[in-house]
Amino acid sequence: MDLSTDFIGMHLKNPLILSSGPLSGSGEMMLQALDAGFAAVVTETILNDIRPNVRPRLVKSGDGLQNIWLYTELTLEDWKREIAMVKEADGTLIANILAYSPSEMAFLARKVEDFGADAIELGISSPHGEGIEVIAANYDEMYELVQSVVDSVSIPVIVKLSSNVTNLSLVAQSAQKAGAQGLSAINTVRSILGVNLENQEPLLPTYGGYSGEPIRPIGLAAVATIKQSVDLPVSGIGGIVDYTHLLEYIMLGAETCQLHTALLLHGYHIVPKILDSTRQWLKEHSFKNIGDVRGTALPKLKGFDELIYEPRIVKVKHDCPYEECEQCIATCFYDAIAKSDDGKIMVLSEKCNGCGLCISICPENCFEMVLPEE
Amino acid sequence: MANIRKVAQLAGVSVATVSRVLNHPERVSEKTKNRVLSVMKDIDFSPNALARGLNLRRTNTIALVIPDIQNPLYTEIARGVESIAHRNGNNLLLCNTEKDVVKEKSYVQMLIEKKIDGVILAYTGLKDADFQEIINKEINLILCGMNSATMRISSVYSDFRQGAALAVQHLIKLGYKRIACITGSDRYIENREKVQGYIETMEKAELDVHPHYLVHGNDDINSGYLSALKLQKIEDRPEAVFVCNDLMAIGAINAMQKAGLNVPEDIGVVGYDNIVMGSFIDPKLTTVSWPVYKMGILSARILIDEVNSKSEDVYTQSILLKPKLKIRKSCGHIDRVSEIFD
Repeated sequence: MDLSTDFIGMHLKNPLILSSGPLSGSGEMMLQALDAGFAAVVTETILNDIRPNVRPRLVKSGDGLQNIWLYTELTLEDWKREIAMVKEADGTLIANILAYSPSEMAFLARKVEDFGADAIELGISSPHGEGIEVIAANYDEMYELVQSVVDSVSIPVIVKLSSNVTNLSLVAQSAQKAGAQGLSAINTVRSILGVNLENQEPLLPTYGGYSGEPIRPIGLAAVATIKQSVDLPVSGIGGIVDYTHLLEYIMLGAETCQLHTALLLHGYHIVPKILDSTRQWLKEHSFKNIGDVRGTALPKLKGFDELIYEPRIVKVKHDCPYEECEQCIATCFYDAIAKSDDGKIMVLSEKCNGCGLCISICPENCFEMVLPEE
Repeated sequence: MANIRKVAQLAGVSVATVSRVLNHPERVSEKTKNRVLSVMKDIDFSPNALARGLNLRRTNTIALVIPDIQNPLYTEIARGVESIAHRNGNNLLLCNTEKDVVKEKSYVQMLIEKKIDGVILAYTGLKDADFQEIINKEINLILCGMNSATMRISSVYSDFRQGAALAVQHLIKLGYKRIACITGSDRYIENREKVQGYIETMEKAELDVHPHYLVHGNDDINSGYLSALKLQKIEDRPEAVFVCNDLMAIGAINAMQKAGLNVPEDIGVVGYDNIVMGSFIDPKLTTVSWPVYKMGILSARILIDEVNSKSEDVYTQSILLKPKLKIRKSCGHIDRVSEIFD
């Protein structure tokens, strides 16, 4: 099964890329990621002036992770060696860089191009350590940054975007106009993961970036929005843990996907698993390659005006195997679900308003939607 | 006798690798580099610097010329330059001109005679003809803090007019109308640019710039103190003041407090430079920060790149680093989120 993917002029053996973060903080670590099966790696954010990261800087709750990590602790000089290590092993490497003026950004871009990077990702959308608006939220500023980099290097340039903006469509268009050859989305989402009730302190002492499974729906919406706004290849990021998530991004039009948090929480063994399961699924569904499903879900995203009203209601598909579950009864706010005298779940069709919540609430898939019988 | 062949033999590597450790350590793996360095230490081998210089036609020495060694901003530049010079195996000569052009010229002559590889002139008082003389001697030149409009010289600089505009716009946004300015010594272009930024921003907002609202300071803490005393005696006392550097702003706040005024309730203050002291005074100083350490880093990186590149592919770079408003308390701003994020 062919998973190979063309992305911003690079031919990748599969669509999985290690995104920028602590696991891409050195050449050795990036080689480990490539060994695990990633087709390419994005470096941790490289900048001109570094500062030591605070401790602690990562905290997990549920399936989500908050980080207050600020970029690499290696100098630009160090990165020459780290990038060379990956290139010597024939790895594909995208350098993530950050600067605050067009001329400084161009300087860094030329540097990492000299060091051998295959492409550049502009890391201008971190939700912490920067302004209340991410850099990429300001169209004009972003336009200048992207344009100066595109004019200065001959390798492809992609821009990493954030959902922490008012109008993502305009941001994407601005990046395209400035000459970006691709986009990646989304960066982490600004967050406070929680408050410790005992000492009444936030879990981490400043606002941070939220990542992991909970942000996947935000990432999917961002990728779809970008794909419906501009004609640029996109790398989908946010909450990918298994092959279904990868396929979701691809079906919404992403050319490649990046992941990181899942590796921090589960380890590298998930990478071959995602790739094998993707191959398996495509094979079972008689697709020849991953390109066959790319963007297939996108045309099915409609506007509210285009949605057709159908007076559908819920019907019990099969009996519930549990005696005590009753989640459907508790959550139906139309009081349309009840138990009959013999203990069977039933839908009161005159009360059901067709909201559909019970279908996804039921762990046994007992409900379906139908047009009411005449 | 300890020589490079002996080092190579003992470390079990080629002579070329030892040479790389000496000249391009970034191209050698940590492990190999450490082994070679430890052998060098064991047999007390040190490369003959003069011979290396002859061989590569280089002295591996660069120079930084700064106007005032006591000013913490210039020492920040020096810190940035030094860190990169050291990282790349270069010696650094530091020259302090005391803002004296004659002294600066004599330093440049000395550096030319020493055949250094390159020089960074920070906030220089020299002119195009002096730059040309340095370039004619095949010494790489970087201008730090200014940009030559007429010559193709790589430079790293910040925009003080824009920085002053950020400060004054912020005060206007907070609702102040009578905004004064304590200027620095107008011998320096950065101070003149700040005043220009102040006047332009006031005029753009259709606010008056009364001549008595422009008080001339002299960059030090005392002149800030004295200027503020003048301002607080004016009948239509200003509601806020933009002070062209933090040292003077600290002096000004001190004077106002001694005169019985509360900062920022009675008068808002914004400084410039973001020196460390500013966040320790009460109220904490709102200021304009400009990446002075980064200017040092970038100047040194570009200089060393130019020294190492063949003359035909030197690429003139002018890097503008943007100033940024650092909102704290002295301006009268109350929302804490801006303090955290902006």
